[in-house]
Amino acid sequence: MDTSTKLNGGLQKQEHLVKLGILTIAAILSFSTRLFSVLRFESVIHEFDPYFNYRTTRFLTEEGFYNFHNWFDERAWYPLGRIIGGTIYPGLMITSGVLYRLMWLVNITIDIRNVCVFLAPFFSSLTTIVTYLLTKEIHSVGAGLVAAAMISIVPGYISRSVAGSYDNEGIAIFCMLLTYYFWIKAVKTGAILWSTMAALAYFYMVSSWGGYVFLINLIPLHVLALMATGRFSHRIYVAYSILYCVGTILSMQISFVGFQPVQSSEHMLALGVFGLCQIHSFVDYIRSKMSKEYFEILFRALVTTVLSIATLVGIILTITGKVSPWTGRFYSLLDPSYAKNHIPIIASVSEHQPTSWSSFYFDLQILVFLFPAGLYFCFSKLSDANIFIILYGITSIYFAGVMVRLMLVLAPVMCILSGITVSHLLTKYIKSVDSPAEKKIDPKKLRKFEQQSGGVKSEVALAFVFVLTFLLISYTFHCTWVTSEAYSSPSIVLSARSHDGGRIIFDDFREAYYWLKMNTPEDARIMSWWDYGYQITAMANRTILVDNNTWNNTHISRVGQAMASTEEKAYEIMRELDVDYVLVIFGGLTGYSSDDINKFLWMVRIGGSTDRGAHIKETDYYAPSGDFRVDKEGSPTLLNCLMYKMCYYRFGQVYTEGGKPPGYDRVRAAEVGNKDFELDVIEEAYTTEHWLVRIYKVKDLRNRGV
Amino acid sequence: MGKFHLTYLLVVCLIWSVQSAVDVEIQNKNVDRTIDLTSQLVKISYKITLEHSAKKNLNSYSFLIPKNERKSLAYISIRDSSKKELKSTEETNADGALFLVNLPANAPTQILLVETVFTKSLLPYPTEIQQSEKQLVRYFGNAYFYSQFKTLSQKTTIQLSSKNVESYTSVKPSSQSDSTITYGPYENIAALSTQPITVHFENHSPFLTVTRLERVIEVSHWGNIAVEETIDMVHSGAKLKGSFSRYDYQKDGRSGQASVKSYKTILPASATGVYYRDTNGNISTSAMRVHKDSVELDLRPRFPLFGGWKTHYTIGYNVPSFEYLFHTNENYLLKMRLVDHIYDDMVIDEIVVKIILPEGSTNIKLITPYPVTRLSDSLHYTYLDTFGRPVIQFTKNNLVENHIHEFNLKYNFPKIVMIQEPLLIVGFLYILFLCVIIWMRLDFSITKEKEAHPHKE
Repeated sequence: MDTSTKLNGGLQKQEHLVKLGILTIAAILSFSTRLFSVLRFESVIHEFDPYFNYRTTRFLTEEGFYNFHNWFDERAWYPLGRIIGGTIYPGLMITSGVLYRLMWLVNITIDIRNVCVFLAPFFSSLTTIVTYLLTKEIHSVGAGLVAAAMISIVPGYISRSVAGSYDNEGIAIFCMLLTYYFWIKAVKTGAILWSTMAALAYFYMVSSWGGYVFLINLIPLHVLALMATGRFSHRIYVAYSILYCVGTILSMQISFVGFQPVQSSEHMLALGVFGLCQIHSFVDYIRSKMSKEYFEILFRALVTTVLSIATLVGIILTITGKVSPWTGRFYSLLDPSYAKNHIPIIASVSEHQPTSWSSFYFDLQILVFLFPAGLYFCFSKLSDANIFIILYGITSIYFAGVMVRLMLVLAPVMCILSGITVSHLLTKYIKSVDSPAEKKIDPKKLRKFEQQSGGVKSEVALAFVFVLTFLLISYTFHCTWVTSEAYSSPSIVLSARSHDGGRIIFDDFREAYYWLKMNTPEDARIMSWWDYGYQITAMANRTILVDNNTWNNTHISRVGQAMASTEEKAYEIMRELDVDYVLVIFGGLTGYSSDDINKFLWMVRIGGSTDRGAHIKETDYYAPSGDFRVDKEGSPTLLNCLMYKMCYYRFGQVYTEGGKPPGYDRVRAAEVGNKDFELDVIEEAYTTEHWLVRIYKVKDLRNRGV
Repeated sequence: MGKFHLTYLLVVCLIWSVQSAVDVEIQNKNVDRTIDLTSQLVKISYKITLEHSAKKNLNSYSFLIPKNERKSLAYISIRDSSKKELKSTEETNADGALFLVNLPANAPTQILLVETVFTKSLLPYPTEIQQSEKQLVRYFGNAYFYSQFKTLSQKTTIQLSSKNVESYTSVKPSSQSDSTITYGPYENIAALSTQPITVHFENHSPFLTVTRLERVIEVSHWGNIAVEETIDMVHSGAKLKGSFSRYDYQKDGRSGQASVKSYKTILPASATGVYYRDTNGNISTSAMRVHKDSVELDLRPRFPLFGGWKTHYTIGYNVPSFEYLFHTNENYLLKMRLVDHIYDDMVIDEIVVKIILPEGSTNIKLITPYPVTRLSDSLHYTYLDTFGRPVIQFTKNNLVENHIHEFNLKYNFPKIVMIQEPLLIVGFLYILFLCVIIWMRLDFSITKEKEAHPHKE
């Protein structure tokens, strides 16, 4: 383009303006489309994990970095505690901490909560821009703009980055794409600058999300593919060697990562490819100095020795435990049924479930169809960068199929490839449409005309452009609808429609947590299922036994056993764990279906998965007919366990729905089986307005002789 | 109780110059005392008719509060027969706290109207009750008007919040009818005489105490005053014993009578942008009604407050500055309420008021309607500040509704400072654009790039 004359100079300025305009609009759009929940409810942190991140960020801003780094949290995992500094990816907290400090430095006195709430939308704006840059490098400016526009509203990414969803993924996607961008730049130029930038971006990525493992496998895979296709060159040698060395050393500075990059099997591909790079260049060097015959002999001998030594060392390291055994999460990536069969705690998390076909369409819509076409276009014009994006696409679509949450990694590449498709097709067809229609489309696409072979009738071209426009419009509507309906509820505040169409708000969670904060002793220990751990520590500031950082299976199992046992047995466990209060979530009155009774089978399974809980058997909790029911037909073990009693205490007297007997559970659609009972070892301490949260106080031991 | 003070005070004043003894010739000719126990406060109003036995002119009087009650005394006002407030000075002696007033009219017979408000004087008994039980409180008082002077005739009426009276000390003649207990009339009671009485009765009025109130008033000369109050509150009635049953609370009307479900806060009529939140976010359970002369907020804490339960929240609003900020040239006067209504018959243990003035305010002078403890001034930095906004802080303990009065704050503010902040923005944008222009126009690369976009087809 730059070869053009003065005539094109004016066009170029316009192009700049249009480019800048589209990018700005896309960035603003990606920020504002994530604000549904803030406008509908308030600026509040969502879900569960973000509450932990929010709490740690607050700690970081209040206590400073070193206290944060050395933080031993005695509020969680009582009586074990948790070393926070060494068990988290601190990138997210440090990012918002730095933003917060910067803003206070220029006297923008914003609350840390608001920084946390708006961090994810802000970073998705940046993601939009990075996507443009990346796609521009891979294909063209036009494709970059389309991809940027697409990623700004793609639901697969929005689901993890709406305002208030303050989680690692919010910034990790930005870091990932930034690393890719620098990587592609480095591969193209072979410049040390870009490789170092890639290493720095990689460091940022490592500091913010455990998903960096995907990245550190994808890049070596790319190098490997380049080697296999004979595209290995000095540029790639420089780029990869620098990225690997600098990146690995930097990543080991994160205390949670530690020595994993040189020990765990997940990182071995990167190390292996690094070695291979050296050998490859060495071989290339030798080849240039030797005659062909001698080289053949040398080469064969070298390959055999190196391979056998590598295998031997690998085996020894694995046996001696230097290379950590393959972790459960990794197995479940390769074999979706692995976790379900072996580790109940992994399988119990809904976001670890395999993705259904419908959710692909739900989260990506037309991208699903445009993606293969994009792959085709990449294949048809293979380059170093294209190979990378093809690999990225294929691996991530596999992983997204295994685990729902990895849809997040897939969404950007879907947008990039679809952007390539749309841009490619539009450029092809639009030049056959007569001039009035051309003006509707961005001028930058016009420039593509010369290279494309035309020859389609203008009606056909017009129809095609219309179809594509229609698809894009429907994509926009779909994305907005999905964002508004599915991904913008804070889940801490529930809302429902009343009969007259008004909105009812169930604010019971915060009610209960605030009650705990205000009216229980400062050091009270709360037992609840692990889902609510982060929220309790963040909002109620009380000590909890287990939380969403499910690092200790036995401890969680112990809580599960307490919930699944009879009152007397549970009392022993609760005394053993020094429990003061027990918190359960109960949806029977309002019809809130993700309550503790519906999660109860998981508690039974996890409770029974350790030695001390061997007496708890899942089958005991099923009715004789083989299903899980809470009414009179239900199994007596269930009807007398602690969880059941806590949920249904005095519920038997409540009329929930007209025409139904008292004690009618609206979630299970059944009249409860065990109605009139009193609690011996615990007493009701608080129940929220809609009975969503019920808190019980564990009674003290009885006085002697009474 | 402190009934006798007024007469006493006067006498002391008179005699002080001559001898430090009481002028025995002053007498309380007639005392009408009303003790209002319908709320959590003890409000006592007196109508005292004074007389000088020697028919000399009276020009001062001393009103006496017993020592043990001085601490719970939140408010006292002494007025003459024309309802004009008299300025009193406080002194302490062996009998209690003396409030000395100078009487305006020099007449041998005068009428004084005294109003006192005591906090924390109704003590729940039993101190712990179950959810369904009634809240009973005890009032400890004096059947006689406690004074330094002889009282010729007196009568006391106690108004209760309900007719359910467990017991009351009878001092003949005394009687109860409905929710009123009458003591007296008693004749010729000597000075400083006491006859302790106890009234034990049912009181379900909200026993709420604000343990700490932080009131921040931020003045902007662009037309807005932001008020934010952070409130720590506790239910100071009988503590809840045993469990809280939501079922009983919802189904049984008599259950949890002593608890506080909601209360009303009255804000100024011009209040806009009201918010009600706590550390966990917005509290969705509140309603706002706009009346002609006020904005009424129906505040419901996240959970009903039972005895001993605490809560903490923040409430804030904006008011236009023209209603509260007056000026001539560069002299400004801020006239606002020192404390505002939180709920009826409120009790505030401690208040801290912070007034944030615009950047550049000088010569700050604070005039308060009653004595307060001034804290050290500080600076506050917020949007577009360079050298900080001056903050005036003061504190006071034990406040009730009668303390809702206005303070005056005078200061100077040069008008030219007003344009400083807009200029800051203008300057910033100017430099930003300048940088962009320079960046775009000049070539900063060390070497000339051979191909600008090497990979594009």
